Amino acid sequence: MRILVSWLRDFVDVTVPVKDLAWDLNLCGFEVASLEPIPAAGGPEDAVLDFEITANRPDCLSVLGIAREAATRYQLPLKAPAAPPLRGSEDALDGLTVTIEDAQACPRYTAAIADVQVAPSPPWLARRLEAAGVRPINNVVDVTNYVLIETGHPLHAFDLARLGGAELRIRRALAGERLTTLDGQNRILSSEMLVIADATRPQALGGLMGGADSEVRSDTTAIALESAYFQALPVRRTSKHLGLSTEASYRFERGADIDAPLRALARACHLIEQVGAGRVRDNWIDAYPGQRPRTVVGLSVRAAGRFLGREVPAADVDRILASLGFAIDARGDDHRRVTVPTWRADVTREVDLYEEIARHDGYDRLPLTFPAVVQAPAAPARRLEVERAAKRLAARAGFSEAVTFTFIEREAAAVFADATQLVAIANPLSESFAVLRPSLLSGLIDALGHNRRRERRDVQLYETGTRFLVDRGETRGLGLAWLGAAAGEHWSGTGRPVDFFDMKGAVEAVCEGLGLGAAETVPAERPWLVEGRAAEIRVATGDAPATVAVLGQLHPRVAEARGLPATEPVYVAEVDLDALDPCISPGEDTTVRPLPRHPSIVRDLSIVVPDGLPASALRDTIRRSGPPTLAGAREFARYQGRGVPEGLVSLSFRLTFRAADRTLTDSEVQQAVDTVLAALTAAHGARLR
Amino acid sequence: MSDASPIASLRRQFDEALGAATSEREIQAVRDRFLGRRSGLITALFAGLDQASPEARRETGRLINGLKRHVETALDARHEALSAVRPVASPVDVTLPGRRPASGHRHPLTVTRERIEGIFARWGYEILDGPETEDDWHCFEALNMPPEHPARDMQDTLYLERPFSRVAPAVEGPRMPPVGLPATLLRTHTSAMQIRYMERHDPPIRIIAPGRVYRRDNLDVTHTPMFQQVEGLVVGRGVTMGDLKGTIVAFLRELFGPKTNAVFRPSFFPYTEPSADVFATCHKCRGEGCAMCKRTGFIEVLGCGMVHPAVYEAVGYPPGVYTGFAFGMGIERLALIDYGVDDIRLFYENDLRFLEQFPV
Repeated sequence: MRILVSWLRDFVDVTVPVKDLAWDLNLCGFEVASLEPIPAAGGPEDAVLDFEITANRPDCLSVLGIAREAATRYQLPLKAPAAPPLRGSEDALDGLTVTIEDAQACPRYTAAIADVQVAPSPPWLARRLEAAGVRPINNVVDVTNYVLIETGHPLHAFDLARLGGAELRIRRALAGERLTTLDGQNRILSSEMLVIADATRPQALGGLMGGADSEVRSDTTAIALESAYFQALPVRRTSKHLGLSTEASYRFERGADIDAPLRALARACHLIEQVGAGRVRDNWIDAYPGQRPRTVVGLSVRAAGRFLGREVPAADVDRILASLGFAIDARGDDHRRVTVPTWRADVTREVDLYEEIARHDGYDRLPLTFPAVVQAPAAPARRLEVERAAKRLAARAGFSEAVTFTFIEREAAAVFADATQLVAIANPLSESFAVLRPSLLSGLIDALGHNRRRERRDVQLYETGTRFLVDRGETRGLGLAWLGAAAGEHWSGTGRPVDFFDMKGAVEAVCEGLGLGAAETVPAERPWLVEGRAAEIRVATGDAPATVAVLGQLHPRVAEARGLPATEPVYVAEVDLDALDPCISPGEDTTVRPLPRHPSIVRDLSIVVPDGLPASALRDTIRRSGPPTLAGAREFARYQGRGVPEGLVSLSFRLTFRAADRTLTDSEVQQAVDTVLAALTAAHGARLR
Repeated sequence: MSDASPIASLRRQFDEALGAATSEREIQAVRDRFLGRRSGLITALFAGLDQASPEARRETGRLINGLKRHVETALDARHEALSAVRPVASPVDVTLPGRRPASGHRHPLTVTRERIEGIFARWGYEILDGPETEDDWHCFEALNMPPEHPARDMQDTLYLERPFSRVAPAVEGPRMPPVGLPATLLRTHTSAMQIRYMERHDPPIRIIAPGRVYRRDNLDVTHTPMFQQVEGLVVGRGVTMGDLKGTIVAFLRELFGPKTNAVFRPSFFPYTEPSADVFATCHKCRGEGCAMCKRTGFIEVLGCGMVHPAVYEAVGYPPGVYTGFAFGMGIERLALIDYGVDDIRLFYENDLRFLEQFPV
């Protein structure tokens, strides 16, 4: 809202520098977007202040509204715009009848008639309109706009001669009725829209825009001047429906002043005569079928003080509210009945008055206190704690954190989930933001590509966040993606490309770090992963085992589709943090096992088994067949080649034996190794190498 | 005294020989020369004692023993000193880069978010998690934004094509059963979490709710369709607007430094009354006025206010009993200010050259 300071001074004698005025009004709640100095011819400093007016203050979409705030701020009197009473009497207007058919949508409609000589406006008026950002058109239209800017109340002038039947009916449009509005658009109306019609057809969209047919032109000799109150919601619906927002609709949909129409009409009539645009005929119409009651709000000055944390003196409370137009019925020091001015539809409760008091007493005068803690705070949400720990662990494994968009292309999402499982956005900004991600991997894969295109060879990224699937709802995950070398580039290294076991190790480190105990890794199939290089980590739970992570080599087809080289391995993993949550026990539960007091004995066992036999099967057999003193069994070498027949593989296990109460003897350990070997041979056809 | 002088001379000889020895091998040679069992010079001195008178033997023996202790101590010390610096292999080029343990970087938005969470956690705020898809009730209506309320325009909403049931846990607590509405939109603000929490809990309440929020804004230098917010809510008996101010000022001083000042400008949010926009001393120019703060010395950092009575009504609190405040801040905005980032899109490109500038 562009406010010309010299115009503001018509209503309040502001003497402070414009810069101070801007800052002071800013602190009253009126954000100043810009301050444009205007060369003032001799008089006091002038400028246009462009205010961002919040949606609750349509009354301040006007010079007068801002003037009222300034008057309150500086404790100055507010002068009303000059508007002598209309001549004649109400509801005796010759030559025009007004019928409100929809008093819900238009509770009040006032009108007057003026005989006019259409001409350019006088320069002072044109200049003020231009400063306010309104293009001058002619003296009649300019007066209606002038009153709009000054009082905030929209008016409309019809060319009286072009109204069929010299009557105005405020009614709903008939479905399919047409109206060419002032902007030249031919609009097809629906029965929800309110129109101002003459005897036969619509002449204006109520509260939005007039019609082209009855527009005031150079040959117009008489006008019907409309000053009405249109209910917010119908105006808003029509505005949305037609995609038409005007100065008038912007104000009506935020709530107009039910008492403004007659005041604005009187002001406009006065100005028409003042600028020599014409002569207003006697009498006027004020159709106001159901008088609205005034809003009255109870106020306790002491309660306001308790609420704000500062006791504002009753005298200040009364002064502030009175200056803003509230009528106060004081009962002693504390209680008041406050009648809300009609332009303040936003004030309906006592707290609304607290805000008025605080705004003008000054937010800066409120104390800085700290609320007392009256009960022990609860622990942070566990889901957030798990996510935070996952972030730390992923970073420790060498991955940097990415933040990618939650919505992705449909095509990118379709790789990871069935189309029926995707959660789509009804009004996406573009096709690249069409569906909510079913997996964290799509964003990470794109981020790998972004870095690779910027000459980054090795990229390790992770992201934590929400995934969306129709059947599973919102779940939280950790995604990992790895492109390039297994270890960071180093002069001593080989630069070996990342492989399955790099990613498996990272996933295991994260899961174990989160507190996952026993879990098994089994081969898996996923359409986005290379067959034979894909696995899932499963945890035995009460019923079916839970899959807590999926990992593997990204299918080159997927990599290529997202702009990554198809020839280079990309490894990805996704940990389902929600599935993992019930399976993990945080470290705080650790009970220490006593440290071994007797030495252990280590035996290496190299066997040859058929290739393709999972190591986990051999490990299980070793554990099952070994004595209780078998403390650990670990693969430490795997070999295929010279000396190992085709189709077989040599696998070496390091077995550690230890007893809690004594030092083991060589012979009993040898016996145990023999037993294990026999079991391996029996179960898997293993033979010693 | 004629016997004392060969001892002193031998001591000099030894000191010279040891001083010249630079390797383990040379030290061993010195040891052999002086202490050798058969032909060691000191060994020979002891042998010569046999011919001396008992008195001279005692006196000279004492001197020789003194020399022997000196030789042994000096040899041992030299041996230790040498072995400490002894090269075990060919020397390395110490100026070559070391092998760093792999460690990734946290995203700047996470760094900022965790700082914010840390401050409020220390002040006894519970940190909440919540759904990113929402229903109209929690996102708008219960927050005093009935359908077609103009304030809904302030946050242009992304809607879901079909209602969506989140299985994910919302807030749990002792009060009302959950309002089992399917989600129809992406939450436009974390303020929805105020409702979710109050539906389940009676005051006193002291929470923050961080998370992603969504608006129908095109991505450009200053706008993004997705960003992160932290919502805060404190409700109890006798909570004042002064408490709100004190909390916000203390928070901003923790975040931006103890000299930070704040300006509270009256504002409008449907779910708070009174409401305020908060400005902090510009981080970049320290209030002098710069391009970042548009020469005002202040930069807008968050919105806040006293919880609107309509919100208490929506969650079924008795009227007039509780007061409280709420605040909401954009993590991106604070991170932009904190790190001097001038293009919000950098946060979502995930360029390692950008990410690696932030702490591990």
